[in-house]
Amino acid sequence: MLLLNGIVQFLSEPAFILGLVALVGLMVLRKSVSEVVTGTLKTVLGFLIFTAGAGIIVNALIPFSTMFTAAFHLTGIVAEDNSLVAAVQISLGTVTASIMVCSFLINVFLARVTRYKYIFLTGHMMFSFAGTMAIVLDLMKISGWKAILIGSVIEGVSMVLFPALSQSSVRKVMNTDEANADTVAVGFVPNTDTVAFGSVAKTDTVAFGSVAKTDTVAFGFWGSSWISLWGWVGGKFGNKSQSTEDMKVPKSLGFLKDMAILMSIVMLVLYVVTTFFVKAADMAKISGGQNPYLFSVIQALTFTAGILVLLQGVRMFLAEIVPAFKGISEKIVPGAIPALDVPVFYGYAPIAVTIGFLATLFGSLLVIPFSRWLPVTVLPSVIGLFFMGGAVGVFGNARGGRRGAIIGGILFGITWTLMIAFAYPLINLSKYNISGLWFASPDAIIVAVVMRLVGKLFGV
Amino acid sequence: MKVITVCGMGLGTSLMLLMEVQSIAAKHGFDVSGEATDLGSALGRKCDFFVASSEIASQLASKNALIVGIKNIIDKNEIENKIVPVMQAIADKRGE
Repeated sequence: MLLLNGIVQFLSEPAFILGLVALVGLMVLRKSVSEVVTGTLKTVLGFLIFTAGAGIIVNALIPFSTMFTAAFHLTGIVAEDNSLVAAVQISLGTVTASIMVCSFLINVFLARVTRYKYIFLTGHMMFSFAGTMAIVLDLMKISGWKAILIGSVIEGVSMVLFPALSQSSVRKVMNTDEANADTVAVGFVPNTDTVAFGSVAKTDTVAFGSVAKTDTVAFGFWGSSWISLWGWVGGKFGNKSQSTEDMKVPKSLGFLKDMAILMSIVMLVLYVVTTFFVKAADMAKISGGQNPYLFSVIQALTFTAGILVLLQGVRMFLAEIVPAFKGISEKIVPGAIPALDVPVFYGYAPIAVTIGFLATLFGSLLVIPFSRWLPVTVLPSVIGLFFMGGAVGVFGNARGGRRGAIIGGILFGITWTLMIAFAYPLINLSKYNISGLWFASPDAIIVAVVMRLVGKLFGV
Repeated sequence: MKVITVCGMGLGTSLMLLMEVQSIAAKHGFDVSGEATDLGSALGRKCDFFVASSEIASQLASKNALIVGIKNIIDKNEIENKIVPVMQAIADKRGE
């Protein structure tokens, strides 16, 4: 009895579940004993660092949320999935980790038996989606093995469905579809020599074989549907012959690629501007007597520091788990197409990445003045804006050149912000003592909203 | 020898690059340990060579390690053509 109890308690520690996955994975891949031991320990440590980072972030956001409400009488949120999911791990960790692992198995099964050969390999996205499922199901009063079952099936199907939905856009970006073959020379290819070789060879085979066979990579990122959609819309307004890659972007914008710097700047602006609008008496209470601006600067940078800690933790546990997932899926699914993280497409149009980010940032800022009429104020959320905005730039450029990238980016920024604002009331996180944070990934939000609405039909 | 692969967040792309680099290294008989990381933490890290996409590589600077920029990070041939000479040079220098 004591032993059984011990096992149950052991398995209710998410750090150990992931450690166990790494252990099994490393053994399946026939690693040496020392690699198995270090890999397993690093996974457990990584997970503990990850949740510690979440604590820092949440603590830095609490005063900000209070300040924002005191200043503008509105609720302000930052959209960032990883921090949010990390913050609920104490209560939902076991369900989250179990959904992540089981959804991978369902993904492998679907890729094996259907013609959709996508294997979703973006680890932090698998984890954040699993956490989203755990939260949504918990709010619907579904817990334990039922939550793991339902969450895993929904995530496993999503891991194949969303890459499949965006694959036609991916082919446009990579120039592997027939219609695009003739425009290869005039498009953005001349800037990237290696792409030209790759895509010409691929277009040749497209003409004879089936298109699906030439796919080497898919889009494994929970913004894929929204990015593809607005890239396509941007393309309708654009002209493909005027590529973003002929534009000159100042070299000084290079700092935009360093997420820590970019986020520090944006958070500093948000905290300091908000401080300016808070009454001195309120501010003194919040800062505990410290100089308000000094307090804000420290809190803003502490938020960013928390994100860096959290990411270091994620990095550590993914470094062991993702290779195991990859190794296992390659053994089981012949001809698997890896669905990869968003930056794999940046190389096809690097300037479009910067243009798309700036356009998307601009679009999201356009919504802020209208916050009074929205359920919540969505503050500029750097990680989402940068990675998704950059991709909209690339996808918009592939279909409609520079105008496609800019218009697609602005529309993405507006619609993404509105999506979050309108979905916000459906998923209330106050029960987890989280304020100032909300979900960011469009695909996951779409799935979560559908689940909530279906649940409401059945009264849960 | 040690490689550090780099991308914007150090989560997805850099890990894929690392797995690719290690499988190419194994194919050519090099023993390469490695780590995936983000741009901010890559600076100042010790390794024999860095691998990153060209845009990220242009932001890296190192006195001691070689930096390999990959234009198309899903092009296995490009990665192989670029890193094999680098690994050979490092191995030669060490007399391995």
